[in-house]
Amino acid sequence: MVGILNTVINLLTAAGIGAGAAFLIYRGGRRSVTRRAVAALSGVVLGAASLWGVIAVEKLETTARGVVVSIAASALIFIAANKLFDLTPDRWSVFTTLMGGGGAFLVYAMLWGNRAIDDPVLRTAAATLIGAAAGYLLGTVDGKRARLAIGTGAGAALGALAASGMRRVILIFEREEGPLELWPVLPNLDYGVLIGLTLAGAALGLLSRLVRRRRTALVRPVILWASVGFFIGAWCLPTLGTGTKAEALAAAIVTGAGFGAVLGLKPIPDAQHRGRIEVASRAYIFLLPALGFIAATLIVPTLRTLFLSFHDTHGREFVGGINYRDIFTSSNIFDAAGWPGIFTSRLFIAGAALVLIGLLAAVLAGRRSGYLMSLSPGTAGAAGLGVFLVATAAFAALRGTVFNNLWWVFTVTIIATAAGLAIAVLADRAKWESLAKSLIFMPMAISFVGAGVIWRFMYLARDVSKPQTGVLNTLWVGIGNLSLSRGPGFFLTVIVILAAAALLVRLAVRAWRADERTVGVGAAVCALPLIWFAFALWRGIGGFEVRDNGDVVASTIQFVQRSPFNNVWLMLVLIWIQTGFTMVIFSAAIKAVPADLLEAAEVDGASESQTFWRVVIPQIAPTIGVVVTTLIVLVMKVFDIVKVMTNGNFDTQVIANEMWQRAFTELNFGLGSALAVVLFAAVLPILYLNIRRMQKAAA
Amino acid sequence: MALVSGAGGPGIGKRTYAFLRSIPTWALWLLVVLWTIPTLGLLVNSFRTRDAQRSSGWWHSPFENYAENLTLANYTDILTAGAQGGLWRALLNSLAIALPATVIPIAFAAFAAYAFAWIDFKGREWLFIATVSLLAIPAQMSLIPLLQLYSGGGHLTLPFIEKTLTLFPDLDLTGRAISVWLTHTGFALPFAIFLLHNYISGLPKDIFESAFIDGADHFKIFWRLVVPLSVPVLAAFAIFQFLWTYNDYLIAVTMLGGAGHNFPATARIAALAGEFGQAEHLLTAGAFLSTLLPIIVFFALQRFFVTGILAGSVKG
Repeated sequence: MVGILNTVINLLTAAGIGAGAAFLIYRGGRRSVTRRAVAALSGVVLGAASLWGVIAVEKLETTARGVVVSIAASALIFIAANKLFDLTPDRWSVFTTLMGGGGAFLVYAMLWGNRAIDDPVLRTAAATLIGAAAGYLLGTVDGKRARLAIGTGAGAALGALAASGMRRVILIFEREEGPLELWPVLPNLDYGVLIGLTLAGAALGLLSRLVRRRRTALVRPVILWASVGFFIGAWCLPTLGTGTKAEALAAAIVTGAGFGAVLGLKPIPDAQHRGRIEVASRAYIFLLPALGFIAATLIVPTLRTLFLSFHDTHGREFVGGINYRDIFTSSNIFDAAGWPGIFTSRLFIAGAALVLIGLLAAVLAGRRSGYLMSLSPGTAGAAGLGVFLVATAAFAALRGTVFNNLWWVFTVTIIATAAGLAIAVLADRAKWESLAKSLIFMPMAISFVGAGVIWRFMYLARDVSKPQTGVLNTLWVGIGNLSLSRGPGFFLTVIVILAAAALLVRLAVRAWRADERTVGVGAAVCALPLIWFAFALWRGIGGFEVRDNGDVVASTIQFVQRSPFNNVWLMLVLIWIQTGFTMVIFSAAIKAVPADLLEAAEVDGASESQTFWRVVIPQIAPTIGVVVTTLIVLVMKVFDIVKVMTNGNFDTQVIANEMWQRAFTELNFGLGSALAVVLFAAVLPILYLNIRRMQKAAA
Repeated sequence: MALVSGAGGPGIGKRTYAFLRSIPTWALWLLVVLWTIPTLGLLVNSFRTRDAQRSSGWWHSPFENYAENLTLANYTDILTAGAQGGLWRALLNSLAIALPATVIPIAFAAFAAYAFAWIDFKGREWLFIATVSLLAIPAQMSLIPLLQLYSGGGHLTLPFIEKTLTLFPDLDLTGRAISVWLTHTGFALPFAIFLLHNYISGLPKDIFESAFIDGADHFKIFWRLVVPLSVPVLAAFAIFQFLWTYNDYLIAVTMLGGAGHNFPATARIAALAGEFGQAEHLLTAGAFLSTLLPIIVFFALQRFFVTGILAGSVKG
């Protein structure tokens, strides 16, 4: 029997995969005979392949079975719920019967699951029948008194049925897996508290009606809230397990009767009301699976993590803010002691100089046009680059997990955004545009782990006595050898570089004279690094070092190990991946800029760079905002790359990896939760921005 | 978009000008080459013997003695060798995680997206915003409680009476693929709902109205109209989610913990990368194999993938 079932499920799975693929391919574009043939063929091939896979490989078989069963179960529940509420307009009594039976079953299943009652099977079955009968009667009988009697009676009966199954002694069932303990639930009633809470509940019910200014139907809310108060007083406050059976009976019967009376007091809804119930129920049937999952995996765990972060290692004792204090006093996590080093680093000096040059040029340009300063792309770019270098200098001096994380966010976000925008612009309307974009986009398909391994081979540094096999160190050592050799290759290289620089300078001068200022400045700026490189080659640059005794030996860059800039090399991996993402989005945004805007700019005589900065950039500004916020959230959580490449060693720790190590290798759930909360707090502003944006979009 | 102005001043010269015009294309292809080199190097090296990998860089490969230096042994070794049954098993585990973790959220998200888009109920707007805003919550925020839930069940300690009420029984899910499915499903839903809602709410209103007039209810409209019309966006999300779950490492390694035999390829490769030394030449083949399927899916179905990403970001 099981064998047949498995075969059926396997066949169904294979057919489903094949049909799904065929359908996707068929729907994917213009329908033609070829497309149909391709769809049918690939459906058959995929179906056969999956049938083979499912049968031949036990792992896939169990998985497929799990998926098919869970999908079937969810579909059944979903369809059943829909069918159930289909009954509301025309067959109200059937609906109430099913609801009554189902409700009673659920309550008893809960008691059963928590081992609170004897003979659970029998009692649950009986309760389901009672509930169904009461539901049927409430769905058909019209008389006010009769309905009240039915509701109260059924509720009391259900309560009595449960209470009579509760034992004072702890029953232990012997099972194979170990003893099963029966919950002692008999409540030890405190009558003062009980009456007080019931009255308080009644008052609350009265108040709720008065506040809403609806003075009709006062009885129902009063009984409802009084019952809630009684329930809390009887079952939630007293010591359970020390009372008597009589107390349990009283507590259960009154509770059941109270809630039953509330149902009984409700008249049978008229047709219009039933229609409203039907529509409202649809929303919840469609929403509940998703919202339930979200609550169970996101909302409740988030609250619990908050709770755990204020508790000790195992979440037992409240320790206040000690975990947070530990985070911000640990020198591994938060170390700002190196700050004086910021101002002496070469990066800082170069960055500050660039900022000054940019601002100075802007002021000079502004004097010509009569403003305080006039920022052009060039001057703004220089100043921006300067700020970037200054920030990098600061991050290199401030150590610890938190600063590392901020450094990641800063660098990856800025470079991936800028590079993606630049590539999108370069690729726009270029030949073979889609191929170029595909190749740059491809790393998005590679896992962070895979990317980490790929780049490990790029950064490989082998013993200097052997040939290098990593691309970057090979280049570095190669440049060093070239620079040292002073042979014909060396001179040829220097001459070629200088010649290229001379051509650029000539171009710069000619362009400047021809009033093509942008080209002139650009050529001059490009010539500078060439001249610098020729000079550096002359002085000696690259992978070698001179020993004290005058010997020259090769040397490599330990990209992954040498702090603090190993962080930057790790960031490069993420930039490599994410640039494809930003490029694709910017590319679409640029193509979506209205053509008449561009035409208008052209008619007005704007140059292409002016069009880009003054028309395209403002048009895609919202997209830039979206990309930046998405990247910030993503980079803030960076984990896999660091875990695979350094595991947080060599001063490269980030918050997510620190959290993982504290929580899952040291099993310190308190500190781990606190670190998660820090991460959460860091993305909260983004969360707020996203909500604001969506509210605007909705409005 | 070129870097120089359209006129081409007389002072620069025609040929120089043409050269300047071509710079963007050159720069683009230079970047493309730079972007491709790391993957290409891994691919080439994965076919070279251990000795070849250790003695020279992958770019020497075309100039070497092929018979001596090229081999498939890295692939056969990594697929079969190892205490946990080789990478073959890990690749199957990846599929066993990624396929259900793709299919399950699609169904749930489609229901919810339809409700948010076309069923009128109280509090619809704020509930939608609240749901989607959960997108930004870091997975780390849920990991510890979820692991506790899967390994010990969910219990509510009632205040005052110090009784523990079991809401979710201890099913001992840790170390099994189902714990990873459930986690991925929950984490994917906000994005999935957002993506599908964008599309489904944009369907023309007339078809719904005429369907209602014809007496169809929401259930029928969902199956007969919304699902068939939403195939492109469902496919887009499916591809996105498949790549995401197939490539995931954090959730798999957290939920599967010590159950190495259930590790997906990412976790196995990461473990392999952690053991320095002897097996490094196998790592190339392993890393390439583990990215092979995503790359195929990516190139074959790129259009859908791009649609998904765009709908998720630009329209936001």
